[in-house]
Amino acid sequence: MKEIVFDELQEKIYTETLDNGLKVVILPKRGYSKTFVTFTTKYGSIDRTFKPHGKDEFITVPDGIAHFLEHKMFEKEDGDVFQKFSLNGASANAYTTFGRTAYLFSATNKVKENTKVLLDFVQEPYFTKETVDKEKGIIAQEITMYDDQPDWRLYFGSIENLYENHPVKIDIAGTVESIQDITAEHLYTCYETFYHPSNMLLFIVGAVDPQEMMAFVKEDQAKKTFDAPEPIERKFPAEPNHADIPERTLTMDVSKPKLNIGMKCNAADQQGQEMLETELSANLVLDSLFGRTSPFYEKANDEGLIDESFSYEFSMEDGYGFAMVGSDTEEPERLETLIKQTIQNAKDYWPVKEEDLDRMRRKKIGQFMRSLNSIEFIANQYTRYEFNEMNLFDVVPTLEKLSMDKLKQAFSTFSDDQNYTIFTIMPPAAEQ
Amino acid sequence: MFNKIKLQDGVNLYIRKTEQFKTVNVTIKWKASLEEKSASDRTVLANVLEESNRSYPTQSEMRKALDQLYGTVLFTDVSKRSSQHIVSLYAECVNDEFFEGEDIFKQLWRLIRATVFEPKISDGAFEQAVVDREKRNVRDRIRSIYDDKTRYAQKRMLEIMRPDQPASISAYGTEEAVAAITPESLRQTYDDMIHQDLVEIYVVGDIDEREIIAQIKEFLPFNARKAKKQDTIQSENTAIPVKTVKERQDMKQGKLHLGFSTPITFLHPDYNKMQVMNGIFGGFAHSKLFMNVREKESMAYYANSAFASQYGIVYVTAGIDAELEDKAVKLIIAQLETMQQGDISELELNQTVALLENSIRSSNDSARSQIEIYDQYKELEENFTAEELISKWQAVTIEDVKEMADTVHLEVVYLLSGKEGEEQ
Repeated sequence: MKEIVFDELQEKIYTETLDNGLKVVILPKRGYSKTFVTFTTKYGSIDRTFKPHGKDEFITVPDGIAHFLEHKMFEKEDGDVFQKFSLNGASANAYTTFGRTAYLFSATNKVKENTKVLLDFVQEPYFTKETVDKEKGIIAQEITMYDDQPDWRLYFGSIENLYENHPVKIDIAGTVESIQDITAEHLYTCYETFYHPSNMLLFIVGAVDPQEMMAFVKEDQAKKTFDAPEPIERKFPAEPNHADIPERTLTMDVSKPKLNIGMKCNAADQQGQEMLETELSANLVLDSLFGRTSPFYEKANDEGLIDESFSYEFSMEDGYGFAMVGSDTEEPERLETLIKQTIQNAKDYWPVKEEDLDRMRRKKIGQFMRSLNSIEFIANQYTRYEFNEMNLFDVVPTLEKLSMDKLKQAFSTFSDDQNYTIFTIMPPAAEQ
Repeated sequence: MFNKIKLQDGVNLYIRKTEQFKTVNVTIKWKASLEEKSASDRTVLANVLEESNRSYPTQSEMRKALDQLYGTVLFTDVSKRSSQHIVSLYAECVNDEFFEGEDIFKQLWRLIRATVFEPKISDGAFEQAVVDREKRNVRDRIRSIYDDKTRYAQKRMLEIMRPDQPASISAYGTEEAVAAITPESLRQTYDDMIHQDLVEIYVVGDIDEREIIAQIKEFLPFNARKAKKQDTIQSENTAIPVKTVKERQDMKQGKLHLGFSTPITFLHPDYNKMQVMNGIFGGFAHSKLFMNVREKESMAYYANSAFASQYGIVYVTAGIDAELEDKAVKLIIAQLETMQQGDISELELNQTVALLENSIRSSNDSARSQIEIYDQYKELEENFTAEELISKWQAVTIEDVKEMADTVHLEVVYLLSGKEGEEQ
C-alpha cells in the first residue's frame, strides 16, 4: 500500500493495485461521520463497438446498454440490492456517463458490511430474460422524463449537433426503441468485457481506517476468481474537427426561448498532465470571457439578454470535448451575436491581462479547496481524473503554474468559427 | 451542536467550532411572516443586495473582490418555512491557515458588511436600473417554473389543495407583486428587514468564538428589535371529497401528484412517527411505492412520497404513462391502505429507521446542512442533537406507523400530461 501526502491540502491518500488488477484508493477524512464508497468501471455509453472478452471480432451493441446494465446490476436472484443497503443504513445509488459507470453508497455505520454488499453485487451479475424485459418499462419512463426537460434537451441536442460520428452524440440512456433490442446475452457480453477488476477503481473516503479497509478489500478480492486481465479493444469512428450541424431549433412548451452555443474542442486526443492543463486553462478562459466580472456579462445582463439561468462550462474526456455557453433569453439572435462577438474579439485582441489571470487562478484554487469538503466530489472526481491519467491533487500546483500562452492555446482548441453550433428551443408559436 | 449567543433582542448568533472543514461558513437569516406581496419585495431586495453596494458599486467590482479573496462565496437566497419568509445570506471562505498572511476571514466580514449595511440608496431610493433588472430576473425565475414540469405540477397541486395559504405561496411571491415594486418601495422593504426581522447568524468552522463575537459587533451593527414569534399553522384535516384535476401541456410524460393531509405537523408530538411512516410509504428505495409502482409493475422510473411537515401534507409524485393514470392512482392508494391495515414488516421498519439515522448523521458532514437542520430543529429543542432524534425513531413501533397511516387522507389527484390524443 502506497501512502501519498499532499501537504498543502492537508490530505493523505493510500493506494494499491491488487493482484486481480483492481485499483483501490482510500482517503480518510478527519472529523467526518460518513463514508462514501464508489466502485467505478471505465465503461460508458460511448463504448458501443468493441471486441467482446475472448473474441476477435468487433461487435456493436444497442444504444443505451451501459445504462441498462447499471439498472440491472441491482436485481439479483434473491431480490433487490437496495433492500440490503437499506437494512445496513446505507444510501446507495449508481450513475452512467459517456465514459463511466459508477456504483456507490454512503453510510455512517457498518462500512465494511456495506462495502462487501457493493463489491458482491457489482461482481456477481444476474440477468434473465424476465428481469431484462421488466426493466424496459422503467427505463422507458426515465427516457420520457428526460425528454420533457428542456435544459437536458438543449445540452444533449448541442452535443448531437457537434458530432457527426462519435457516439458521444447518442443519448446515454438510448431511446425507447433502442432499448427494446437489449437482451440478457448482450448484458453478459458487456459485463464480461468491461467489468473486469483491471478496468475498475474502488474509492473509499470518509470515516475509515485505511489499513483496516485495505486489508478487508484485499481479502474479499483474493477469495473471488477472475480471468486474467486482457486489454480492452474499443473502436471509435473518425471525427472531423468542425461541428457537424451548425444550427438547429426545437419547439417545446417553455415560457421563454433557450439558446446554447456549443464549441467543439479539437484536443480530444489529450490525456494526463497535458489534458489537465488544457482543461483548467479553458475554464479560466471561459471565466474571463463570460464570468460575472466580464464585460460580456455586464452588457448581456444590463440589456436583459440573459437571466439567472445563464451558464457556461468546459468539458473534456478521452475522445471528445466541448465548451458551452447558454441562457434563457427573449432575444436569442442578439445573444448569439454577442457571444460570437466576444469570442471573435478574444481572437483579434487577447483580453485577458496578467492581473485577471492571477485573480482567476486564486478563485479556482479557493474553489478547489472548498470542494475538498465534499467527500462525494473527491471520490467521483478522483476516479474521473485517474481514468484520464490525471491526478486530482495536481489541480492546485497546475493552476499555480499556468501561463498566459497555455490559456491562448486552450482557447484556440475550440474557438474556430467552424467549431460552433447553435441550439435553440422555442416556445410554441402563439395560437391564433 | 451550536453555541447560542444573544447579541441583542431579536438578534442571535449560533457558533459551531470545528476543524472538520477547509472553509468557514457564515449564514445570516432574516425571518418575517410569509405573504405574497412581501415575499416578492424581499426576493428582489435579496438580489439587489447581492449585486452591488456603496463600497463595490458594480457587480463586476464586487465579484472581483470575492474572486481575489480565493473564490470566496457570497450570495443571497429566499425560502419559506411554515408561515415564515426567510432571506438568507450565505458566505464561505477558505481557512486562513492555507494562505499565510492573507487575513481572508476578516476581509469576508468587510464584504458582508458592505452587502448588508452599505446598500446603494440615494434620495431615499435604490438605483432604478438595478431594481428594474433584478425585478426582471425574479419575474423570469417565477415564470421558469413552467419549464420544469415536475415543479410546475407540484406547484399546481399545492395551489389546488391549499389556495392562498402558506403551503402554496411561493417564497418568490408573484409576478404581479414583483411588477409593483419601485426603487422607493424597495427602500422601505430594506428598512423593515434590517430593523424589524428576527436575525439569526450562524458561523461554522475553525474559529475563535470570542474573536467572532468581537468581529460581528464591529462589522454587523444590528440593533435590538422586537421579533415576532412565528405563527403556527393548523393543519386542515377534514373529510372532504377528493378533488381530481387534469391539466395539459405539450409534453410526453404524465406527472401524477397526489396530495394527502394529516393533522401531524412538525410541532406535533408524533412528528417523528410520521417521518417513519413516510419513509416506509415512499421515502426510500425499499419503500412500498418504489417496490410496487416501480419494481413490481414497471410503471414508473420515480414514485416517491414526501412529508411536508410544516404544512401537514404528505404528497406522492410519479412520472407515468398518462394512459395508466387510474391504475397508478389505485396502486398508490393501495400502498397507503396496506399500511392502514397494519401490513408493515419489521424489515421495512428497521430499514427506514436505519436510513433516517444515516441521513441525519450524514448532515454532519456539510456545514450548510448543519446550519439548516439546526435552524429548523431548534424550534423544537434548543439543545437539539442527532442522537436524541435517532432514539425517537428507534422507539417507533409498527402499531405507531399504522396509526400514522390512519391519519392520512387523500385530498387532491393532479395529473399534468401531454396534448396528444386530446381530441380522441
